[in-house]
Amino acid sequence: MVKRVGFVILLFLLATGWWLWERGGETAVSPTTTTSSFLPLLTDDGNASRFARATEPNAVQFPRDLGAHEDYQTEWWYYTGNLETADKRPFGFQFTIFRRALTAEATDTASDWRTNQVYLAHFTVSDGENGRFYERERFSRGAAGLAGAQAEPYRVWLEDWSVAETTAGEVRLQAKTEEVAVDLLLTQTLPPVLQGDGGLSQKGPEPGNASYYYSIVQQKVRGTVTLPEGVLEVTGVAWKDHEYSTNALPADAVGWDWFSLQFDNGAALMLVQIRRQDGSLTFVPDGIFVQPDGTTQLVTAGSWQLDVLDRWTSEASGATYPMGWRLQVRELGLDVEGRPLMPNQELTGTTIYWEGAVQFNGTLDGRPITAKGYIEMTGYAGSMIGRI
Amino acid sequence: MTNNTPLWRLTWRRLRQRPFQYILLIVGVAIGVAMMVSIDLANGSASRAFALSTDAVTGRTTHRIEGGPNGLDEAVYRRLRQQLGYQLAAPVVEGYVQAAALGPQPIRLVGIDPFAEPPFRNYFGSGDGNADGLTPFLTQPNAIVLAESLAEPAGLGLGDEVVVEINGRLHLTTIVGLLTPQDNSRRRALSNLIFADIATAQELFGQVGRLSHIDLIVPDPALLPAIQAILPAAARLETAASQQNAIQQMTAAFSLNLTALSLLALVVGMFLIYNTVTFSVVQRRPLFGVLRCLGVTRQQLFHLILAESLILGLVGAVLGVGLGIVLGQGTVRLITQTINDLYVVVNVQSVTIPPATLLKGLLIGVVAAAGAAVIPAWEAMRTTPQTTLRRSAAEGRIRELLPWLLLAWAVLTAVGVFLLWAQAGGLVASFAGLFAVLIAAALLTPPTTAVLMRWLAPLGDKLLGVLGRMAPREIGRSLSRTSVAIAALMTAVSVIVGVSIMIGSFRSTVIQWLEQTLQADIYVSPPGATATRDIGAIDPTIVAELSGWPGVVQTAVARPSEVFAPDLGRTVQLVAAAGDVSRGNRPYAWKPDGVENPWLELGEGVIISEALVLKEGLPIPPPPLTLQTAVGPQTFPVLAVIYDYANDRGTIFMDKAQYAALWQDEATSSLALFVAEGTDVDKLVQEMQGAINGRQALDIRSNQALRQTSLEVFDRTFAITSALRLLAVIVAFIGVLSALLSLQLEQTRELGILRATGMTLRQLWALTLLKTGLIGAVAGVLAMPVGYVLAWILIYVINVRSFGWTLQMQLQPGYFVQSLAVAVIAALLAGIYPAWRLGGMVIATAVREE
Repeated sequence: MVKRVGFVILLFLLATGWWLWERGGETAVSPTTTTSSFLPLLTDDGNASRFARATEPNAVQFPRDLGAHEDYQTEWWYYTGNLETADKRPFGFQFTIFRRALTAEATDTASDWRTNQVYLAHFTVSDGENGRFYERERFSRGAAGLAGAQAEPYRVWLEDWSVAETTAGEVRLQAKTEEVAVDLLLTQTLPPVLQGDGGLSQKGPEPGNASYYYSIVQQKVRGTVTLPEGVLEVTGVAWKDHEYSTNALPADAVGWDWFSLQFDNGAALMLVQIRRQDGSLTFVPDGIFVQPDGTTQLVTAGSWQLDVLDRWTSEASGATYPMGWRLQVRELGLDVEGRPLMPNQELTGTTIYWEGAVQFNGTLDGRPITAKGYIEMTGYAGSMIGRI
Repeated sequence: MTNNTPLWRLTWRRLRQRPFQYILLIVGVAIGVAMMVSIDLANGSASRAFALSTDAVTGRTTHRIEGGPNGLDEAVYRRLRQQLGYQLAAPVVEGYVQAAALGPQPIRLVGIDPFAEPPFRNYFGSGDGNADGLTPFLTQPNAIVLAESLAEPAGLGLGDEVVVEINGRLHLTTIVGLLTPQDNSRRRALSNLIFADIATAQELFGQVGRLSHIDLIVPDPALLPAIQAILPAAARLETAASQQNAIQQMTAAFSLNLTALSLLALVVGMFLIYNTVTFSVVQRRPLFGVLRCLGVTRQQLFHLILAESLILGLVGAVLGVGLGIVLGQGTVRLITQTINDLYVVVNVQSVTIPPATLLKGLLIGVVAAAGAAVIPAWEAMRTTPQTTLRRSAAEGRIRELLPWLLLAWAVLTAVGVFLLWAQAGGLVASFAGLFAVLIAAALLTPPTTAVLMRWLAPLGDKLLGVLGRMAPREIGRSLSRTSVAIAALMTAVSVIVGVSIMIGSFRSTVIQWLEQTLQADIYVSPPGATATRDIGAIDPTIVAELSGWPGVVQTAVARPSEVFAPDLGRTVQLVAAAGDVSRGNRPYAWKPDGVENPWLELGEGVIISEALVLKEGLPIPPPPLTLQTAVGPQTFPVLAVIYDYANDRGTIFMDKAQYAALWQDEATSSLALFVAEGTDVDKLVQEMQGAINGRQALDIRSNQALRQTSLEVFDRTFAITSALRLLAVIVAFIGVLSALLSLQLEQTRELGILRATGMTLRQLWALTLLKTGLIGAVAGVLAMPVGYVLAWILIYVINVRSFGWTLQMQLQPGYFVQSLAVAVIAALLAGIYPAWRLGGMVIATAVREE
């Protein structure tokens, strides 16, 4: 859900992108930095009202809705996962493809290149042993075959970065940069989880401040991570979110904290909270708890409590992020404490946010339990806009 | 320690007394230098303007994937990004458009993918980039972005519509973004560019599915093989630098020719300096004799004279550089026009003034002045005081020198002939040879004049009496001065004769070629961005309609394109033709025995132009030629070599069906129609224009009109040459004026005595004008054979090596008559002032020594 919803991230995209546009890509050009200065494209151009909006429960259908929904302004396919080698060397990865419609009406002219769809991808690898964080950002138009998303067969891609169905219930995720690459097979173990009310995930008090949102959790991963030092065989667990919306966030939101935990007993938990500028919460969308057998229950606002145990300040952005958590969910009997795989998992591209692998330990119903997962924290470097 | 101050004071006093002479020297140097500088500036500005706009488009590109005439399949880009994951690649679709609102010059429209751009170019780099424009830039058809400095003068702003004409069709575009370049060079670079999204560009140029090229940044050459591996047969990988050098390569011969012409002016200018310095030495002989007697050393004298002319040369050179900058504004227009007509589209916004050019101008001026002064200075230094005091010494010396001058002529001519004959030295050696022959001819002037005057004296006596005898004798007697004037005038006039013959021959050759080649009655083509190249296409329905027009009995179509020839390592113009526009009248430079019209057998091979043979040094018969086609390299036998004056880089002719199959390009760029006898062609042209009106803007021209247009381009090309010719005459005129003035001043006393002994004013005038007229006539007569030789060299050596064109030399008596007239009139005009001064002089003052 809320994780990544449209408006705030796009607000950042707008602001930072605008600034980059102004600055004009005077950045030194090397094969490793291809920062685009075209992020202002991702701004709300004031015609959000002409896009479709998420309003109906039980609207999401498979496999139809695996692909792109170009009549919604914003969409993403979000993969995060915790990996380890045979000798327990830990890694995390994030692979996200965002889609943004520039206009509500599709422009269809003779050229294949003509489009109103813009794609953006973020790819990170966290090397826990060396404390190294690899991140890369890419842009493309959603045309001329360069980037796109399709339902059947399922495939989402931006140039040579892609997630594509290999057989039923299995996708292959490939992404590479000059330094790092992943080539992973993700096998589904549970049916897709419809978030919120039958896939309609409310992000604010207003009707339409919502997204269509489903997750595929506890996916088994095997494959390779390629580092400068060589190719490593890995296994692990991955989480997919797919969410599409138009202008979903409440107006006073500046950022959010999103938690995804995948427990060693096969259960999974998603929680999110949307913050105001002063740090207070403006809205807490419904979270969800997935039992090992796939049955789900909503975790509503007020039924869970989060305490920050530690903080970390980024040298790159100057932003200070929570970096240690105690999470209690009374109705589940859950009490866990979590730490990041490493503090430096901040993305410093056109949007600055923290998205990192974490490890939680504690008890569920009195029994010891551990969880791996990802936490996303946005809006902390808001004041840092213009200082990238 | 010696003090030279008194010597300098002497010089200064003389300068104050006789400023006119020195002014002439300065003017001579100045004009010579000015021509050099202006030509240099114009050449430099044109190539800099081209480089700037190329740089703006090239950006940080290191390599480029080029396709065939049709561009490149856009799938290549997809493969590059997706299969290879190559990130540093940017697709480009570009071409030239006319936008009447932005001025008459063609503007380059560059279609880009903004997402691929940041590593390559930062047009949107500075100032108020206009982010709101980006959504319409991508999503709105025909959205364009251009520099504010281009839009504002045209009264255009954000949201305004601009009509652009592409390939004869009008398109309405909308300005959705304005770029505000912060510095001047960026502003200049953007002054001839319009940007559009790649989708818009594909649609505007009718290139859907195709790219013009793909720009690459390849940081490591090791990456190249992988890129090469995914390219289709039609594509090739080039360095960006080869693109940027294109204009230099294309126009090298043209620029060199202009530079050589401007050097000619300087050579004439050097005579002038030599003349002036010699005279100032001759005049001061008594003074130098006295100085030597007083103990001034030879070195001191040498240095004095040399320093004098160095300073004057410097003053002249500085003035010349200034004048050159002013002239440059005009020459740049002429040169740019020619480059636009013949080579590539260049839009020169301003004349750029590189310090190197100015320095070069200064240096050449000063060195020329010093070089010309060395001989007189040496002479003054070598002469013993008592001979220096003797007036006849100089004349005696030059008479002794005459045999040596003859020898020098022979040696220098031999050197010149060798340089012209040797192929290895290329164009520069050829020009050096030309100069050697010319200077040798100038050296031959004194002996020739001496002989001529000896013959003329008795003749003049018979015809005109005593004055008729005096005039040639005086010229012969004062050979040390008159011969220099004659040589300068002769040089200038021979250049006029030579260049005139060359241009005249060129023109008549082109006219004849046009007549032979263009046999069809009506020609249809899209208005091209340049006069000699149009890659645009005619709407196929219009081709069909006009071909089937009542009264049309036969058609010929052609499609020019640029294709890559791996053996030559460059692109060559390829003209795909169906039907023979010349009806078998085409002039062949070579064809196999027994073949009547090789054109009809085109299906099997290619016909190439003579320019290609000469440019590439191909043997006759030429070997088969390999070309990069859409299906890989293909080799074609050469069936014949044809005379063709349309492209100095050479042209390959091929059957259109074969071309269409190999390059997958069916388009037609020009259509020639033969009509039934007795048809009113002009009426037919009007009817056709009426029929296609509003569908596509096409030039439909009668045979006559097309020839006219071709000749207009030709004449524009030589406009700059004519301008240079005129300047050479001015320099020569100044030379003659200063020489005659010197003579008059020297002979003041002598003429005073003549006047005192009864010569009337009328007779004085007659004598002076007779003398000057004779000088002019001798120069004019000598210029004729020299001019002929120059023309021969220009036509058969320089032109062939520069442009690969063989011209038929056409001698018209008019050129010779004209040159004689120019020489005599220039000389007579130059004689008026001295005659007038002498006439007004009090005899007593004249008779008194200085």
